[in-house]
Amino acid sequence: MLKASAATRVAVLELALLVVFAVLPAALQEFRVVFVTRVMILALLALSFDLVWGFAGIMSFGQALFFGAAGYTVALLARDAGITSIFVVLPAALGVGLVLAFVVAAFLLLGRHPPSLTFVALGTLTGSYAADRLARGWYYLGGQNGIPSIPPMTAGPLQITEGLAYYYLALAVLVATYAACRFLVRSQLGLALAGVRINEARMAFFGYRVQSLKAIVFSVAGAIGGLAGGLYAFHEGFVWPNMLGVILSTQIVLYALFGGVGTLIGAVVGVVAIEIVSFVLADAYPTIWPIILGLLLLLVILFRPGGLISVLVPRRERIAVLGLARLGPPSAQAEAVDGAA
Amino acid sequence: MEGAITAVFEVLNFGAIMILVVLGLGVIAGMMGIFNFAHGEFVLLGAYTVYLFSVWALPIWLGMLVAPAVVAAIALVLERLVIRRFYAAPVIAMLGTYAIGLVIRESVRGLIGGLYRAVPEPLPGSFDIGAVHIARWRLSIVIVTALVIVGSYLLLSRTGFGLRVRAALENPSLARASGISTDRVYAATFAFGAALAGLAGALVVPVFSLSADLGIRFLIQGFLAVMLGGVGSFEGSVVGAGVIGILSAALPWAVAPVLADVLVFVIAVVLVRLWPRGLTAGRTV
Amino acid sequence: MSETSHVTRRRFLQSTAWMSGAIAPGAGSWVVPPAWGQSGNPIKVGIATDLTGAIGYAGNANANIAKLLTKEINAKGGVIGRPIELLIEDTASNESTAVANVRKLIQRDKVDVVFGGITSSMRNAIKDVIVTRGKTLYIYPQLYEGKECTPYIFCTGPTPAQQCDEFIPWLIKNGGKRFALPSANYVWPHVLNQYARKVIESSGGEVIFEEYYPLDQVEYSATVNKIMTNKVDVVFNTVIPPGVGPFFKQLYEAGFQKRGGRLSCVYYDENTLNINAPHEIEGLASCLDYFKVVTKEDAPSGRIQAEYDKQFPGNIAFAAGSAATGMYRGLKLWEAAVNEAKSVNRDPVAKALDHAKISEGPGGPAEMVPGKRHCKMRMYTAVAKGGTYELVARSKGLVDPKEC
Repeated sequence: MLKASAATRVAVLELALLVVFAVLPAALQEFRVVFVTRVMILALLALSFDLVWGFAGIMSFGQALFFGAAGYTVALLARDAGITSIFVVLPAALGVGLVLAFVVAAFLLLGRHPPSLTFVALGTLTGSYAADRLARGWYYLGGQNGIPSIPPMTAGPLQITEGLAYYYLALAVLVATYAACRFLVRSQLGLALAGVRINEARMAFFGYRVQSLKAIVFSVAGAIGGLAGGLYAFHEGFVWPNMLGVILSTQIVLYALFGGVGTLIGAVVGVVAIEIVSFVLADAYPTIWPIILGLLLLLVILFRPGGLISVLVPRRERIAVLGLARLGPPSAQAEAVDGAA
Repeated sequence: MEGAITAVFEVLNFGAIMILVVLGLGVIAGMMGIFNFAHGEFVLLGAYTVYLFSVWALPIWLGMLVAPAVVAAIALVLERLVIRRFYAAPVIAMLGTYAIGLVIRESVRGLIGGLYRAVPEPLPGSFDIGAVHIARWRLSIVIVTALVIVGSYLLLSRTGFGLRVRAALENPSLARASGISTDRVYAATFAFGAALAGLAGALVVPVFSLSADLGIRFLIQGFLAVMLGGVGSFEGSVVGAGVIGILSAALPWAVAPVLADVLVFVIAVVLVRLWPRGLTAGRTV
Repeated sequence: MSETSHVTRRRFLQSTAWMSGAIAPGAGSWVVPPAWGQSGNPIKVGIATDLTGAIGYAGNANANIAKLLTKEINAKGGVIGRPIELLIEDTASNESTAVANVRKLIQRDKVDVVFGGITSSMRNAIKDVIVTRGKTLYIYPQLYEGKECTPYIFCTGPTPAQQCDEFIPWLIKNGGKRFALPSANYVWPHVLNQYARKVIESSGGEVIFEEYYPLDQVEYSATVNKIMTNKVDVVFNTVIPPGVGPFFKQLYEAGFQKRGGRLSCVYYDENTLNINAPHEIEGLASCLDYFKVVTKEDAPSGRIQAEYDKQFPGNIAFAAGSAATGMYRGLKLWEAAVNEAKSVNRDPVAKALDHAKISEGPGGPAEMVPGKRHCKMRMYTAVAKGGTYELVARSKGLVDPKEC
């Protein structure tokens, strides 16, 4: 929830980005169009993380689990059942993400004792890592190789190959998902979540089933992550264990953090910013660039925890931002919560 | 029979290293309330120091003595500059320390050229006890680690420093009110934990080769061990590391290695879910 | 055994700086442009290989020989009168990075042919980008598991038939009948083991166990224990770095060689010898298309080896398990094909490459088997003694790859 002025600014940004993405292919050579497509798919994944962390307060270090699981599923569908139709694989990817996320949420969040934040973080981290090891070890899934040579996605008789066709597909999916998320966070559910962010105990006393709310959001985010995974698999033409693993999971967290959590568009901005800078700098400084990235992220975390988007939307204008505590001794409730109406 | 003995030795070996890593992680988690995602990289730094010693043709065992000190120094600097801002914000601490870990990992990767490097053992060769073959260096690891663990325990339970550490762990405000500088205690504890991790890396690098991703493997298992054993207690760390060590080392003998890999984590998470406060909850050093 | 040469990109560049301006044009690739004074319109040759990562020791050998040959070919006036421009991309032993970088070669640089990929997982990851989506010729230079019959992909490294048919009987005669197949868990060991098992069993041997491990596993005590308690005679190893070093060390410490066991590994060459101390792998047998010691009996091999050693002194050896010999063979065969087809377009070159031959190469001459896109070559069996290889068997002439 944002104050009117901030909301307008964000809306302008959203519209501007939409327009830019819509016309970009006209200005780029094909190989760059492919790159931007990939960025958009990753933005989808970052969006899923922003949903759980920025809006539901769940630190999920395992979004790649849903991304990779859906990717592997569609790859198996293509390889073993010859199914590449977009009308089957995208819903399948969505479904896999949803179901898997629900299972994970049920295990981690529901139950008699609500879990600590750290446990959820570690639980998701472990899930991602364990899935990575499983895929790496299971030959049916290709083991270390993963599953290569995935045929292109089809829509009836047409093939959707990388390039313009896939670009607009990815853009359409991203816009649709973004709109859906936006709707979600401004709905009653979103309001309830805002309340949970400000004071979880109070919401529980009001009668809201806090853990169920979180589980719902987690499942939706998992579905989005899965969708991104399905798109990614067909775009890149192969899936492999790193799609499931910890490195990707934490990378997404950092992308979203860099852009600014809690505003949806921040996640997209973060991915775009880092990927473009990586693209430009990684070629010139391949060994130093990851170090620079790490330092950059550290600086953002320390000094501008609101991320890039905080340039447009100052933190105090956001409801319930989770961020750095004041400096001081550790205490039981460790999160600092900015309440702002 | 010899299979069983070898298996036990394996468990001891791996468990010992895990305990070293987890002790540091656990005390930091318990005292400062943060999970240090750069802990794996402290292990890496210890290994890297020893590698440097081997490249500069200096005695490896000397490198192993120096490594914990070097890592402790680096950790101290990090703590003063950066880490202290993360206390009381566990999630931001995770992210911030991850970023630090990333910087360290990629720096080492650049320095070793992205390849895997072998480091010779200070005590090469093996000897036989009956039909069981034991590598000299691996036995040394177990002995050294046992000594260090006992030493740490004595440090924590019998010295003045240990007393202050335990006070800060149990009740920071009261400790401060009693005149203990928790700032200094935190710094010293962080450095101590890092030193242990550095030692683990130094001891283990002749067995595994040096690569920039050495630390990640220890990190996740370390976290699970900490949560499993109970955050913030000495026994907790030992128990947690012990359980993880036993699972990791023993499972491949029972099931296919690929499955064993995954089962360790699944079992650990389930256990933590069932005992959220850890297996040794309620007791401290 | 620690390597003293740090192969960072910068050092790599410095060590080859004498070459006619190998520049990194800030675009990620390494471009070796034609020498001064040569006419324009170069033929663009793309090399996608692992310069960093676990397979970096091989990738660098690969890249080195490509640079050497390019200079040699350009010095003689190029191919069909056009100089060769070499563009090298690092696949970093990481399939995802590889795909992104190979896309650059295909879509941005529009190369005429791609050589590269070392591990089978790498080949599988990049072949689509090159051949299907990129419609470019792809030459794969490394020993592998066979069964790569995709059109426009040509393989110039040894196949299981070449590596096993004569090697395994030798192993049975010089090791024993009881085989163990410890393997890395990916496609090459799986498929190679299928073939090896057939040959083992038809030669009177027996496979005691066959197991697969994650690539980064470094603890092998369960495996070593199985080998020792089951009295395995021959370990036919397909574990790759980083696991292979610790595995061999643990195997040695358990006393495998002491009780007469034979260690064998078909990708072990001069580069991988450095992974362990010599005494730990004493007696290790390997079967490849080339060993350095072959230079004593084959003069062209000697010339190639000497030239390589002169231009690239250091720890990265010109060796057959590191795709370097296959790269040499591939480049020369391709050169012959382009000369015959008088064009660099994919179809004419592929047609000519189908039956290309070279009379001089590392290990001896080589010829493509028409219709099969695989290469006949001489095979040698060698045993590691005191840190170097000693030849113990040679094939009678060129061996058929028996693929496709």
